[in-house]
Amino acid sequence: MEEYVKVLHDSMVGCKVPEILGAVDKSLEAGMTPVEIIDALSAGMSDVGILFERGKLFLPHVLSAAAGMNKTMEKLTPMLASAGGSTGPKTAVVMGTVEGDVHDIGKSITSTMLQCAGFEIHDLGRDVPLDNFIKECKENGCTMCGMSALMTTTMTGMKVVIDKLQQEGIRDKVTVLVGGAPVTQGYCDKIGADVYGESASETTQKVKALASD
Amino acid sequence: MPAEYRMRMGDGTRQWMTKEQIRADVEDGVNNAVDCAEVPALTEDDICRIVDIMCEKGRTVSVEPGEEVILTQDGGELKLLNDSGSSSPVLEMSRTAAIQVHERALGMDTFEVAYFDPSTKMVKPVIGMEMAHCQNVMYNTIIPMLYMFMPNIGLYYQPTGPFGNPPDLMREFKIDEAMEAGDLAMKAMRDDIVFIGERILSTGMDGLDFDTTASGGDLDFVGSLEAVEEIRKTYPDADIQMGMSAESVLGINGMCEYKGQLAAGLYPHQQVKLAEAAGVSTFGPVVNTNSSMSTAWNVARAVTMVKECSKVSKIPLQVNMGMGVGGTPMFETPPIDAVTRADKCMIEIAHVDGL
Repeated sequence: MEEYVKVLHDSMVGCKVPEILGAVDKSLEAGMTPVEIIDALSAGMSDVGILFERGKLFLPHVLSAAAGMNKTMEKLTPMLASAGGSTGPKTAVVMGTVEGDVHDIGKSITSTMLQCAGFEIHDLGRDVPLDNFIKECKENGCTMCGMSALMTTTMTGMKVVIDKLQQEGIRDKVTVLVGGAPVTQGYCDKIGADVYGESASETTQKVKALASD
Repeated sequence: MPAEYRMRMGDGTRQWMTKEQIRADVEDGVNNAVDCAEVPALTEDDICRIVDIMCEKGRTVSVEPGEEVILTQDGGELKLLNDSGSSSPVLEMSRTAAIQVHERALGMDTFEVAYFDPSTKMVKPVIGMEMAHCQNVMYNTIIPMLYMFMPNIGLYYQPTGPFGNPPDLMREFKIDEAMEAGDLAMKAMRDDIVFIGERILSTGMDGLDFDTTASGGDLDFVGSLEAVEEIRKTYPDADIQMGMSAESVLGINGMCEYKGQLAAGLYPHQQVKLAEAAGVSTFGPVVNTNSSMSTAWNVARAVTMVKECSKVSKIPLQVNMGMGVGGTPMFETPPIDAVTRADKCMIEIAHVDGL
């Protein structure tokens, strides 16, 4: 099976949809389970994120890999169900760049990578009114709230959202993720957020680890 | 128990480390730079020098007399006037007075005049006011004055601009539309940069400073290079600085080229060659600080990348050494112990011409 894991991984890093789907078909024929296939592709997607951050792959590559992952999930989800695997509701994550800030490249990449890692993403985009984060958590079932900012003048909005979650009495039900150039672990600790991600790939790894606990 | 030395993490927090730990971080930082940027490693002498500088006892460190480099400030006068959230002084004074403080009290060798919202798209509508301000500044100062503005292609995309947002369009797999929107935005940004640059230089300003170039990725970079080339035709002797926004050019388009060279994924030593070809006078490389690693790690990594940039460059380097770049901690008021150590390493080992 190891060789099929490698083929799946490499096809994802190759970022071409037909090759990803071809590798999935061959792996199924070889007897790999849908869960094993998804795990192998997820590892490949993590490497795609790292290679993007290092300038070795570009945005069209990342999105093509994501498309391959999505098509694979469409194919494998019915098999997961019939095999008795978990097809229950995914962890929903609201993502957005906080109000006053229109810089969203990093946030968008993080959204894409989290989606490929199996999370349900509610991406509100950029310049998101702070109350909208609360609304997604209260009304649309998001149990994770990811906020990004590029400016020191806007990152203070993250603390406002955390305070509002507290006021609404749902702070302990929502995991707060923060990131963006001026945001640090120290700032994350200071405002009482739960997870700080230095990069899209690091955020994804931390969130996956948290969700599997 | 081995002696411990004061160190900072990349977010500015205090850390105590032994000389052996510092040495290990320096080596790891060098290796990371070699791995990411594909540049040569620092020599053993360089590594030892960084460790020595990190372990100096004084709160601040400095270079020897005669080894000083050009010091400038690319944040414009607003650093004294604005409230940036928590740390700026918010002084009550005119823009011109703020520039004079930088010149006469803070000892800047050159200065970058800037509008409060210095993105190209925001400066264009107030160009008349900015030209008048520049003329006034030139009458009232002595040191070379450059006009700073940020190319910032992002503001040309929706929702702040007229063109479709390529990352959004790509997520919907509208690849052709994304590419077309990117090309149109790049042309609009390039034309606006030329519009601003030529008018500002007509006031007698000494030059221009393109700040945070490539913040919107490869199209941002190529559009800026093309604008420099265009401005050069009218102002062959103007000083044109190009400061970058990150260590590598993000591939938002992925296929965008300048003079036959793919722009995406380039690191400082490769970026500077395109800047030279476009007619840039001074290049400002950037190396990002990792806020979770120590200053020793970050400085070693930054110096490794900038040293190679310095080696291949035919134009002066004025390296970015502010909040979150060049090994300086990601902190609004970066601690002076870390700042001076990063600066000293950059001058003595990477041989930059200015900060």
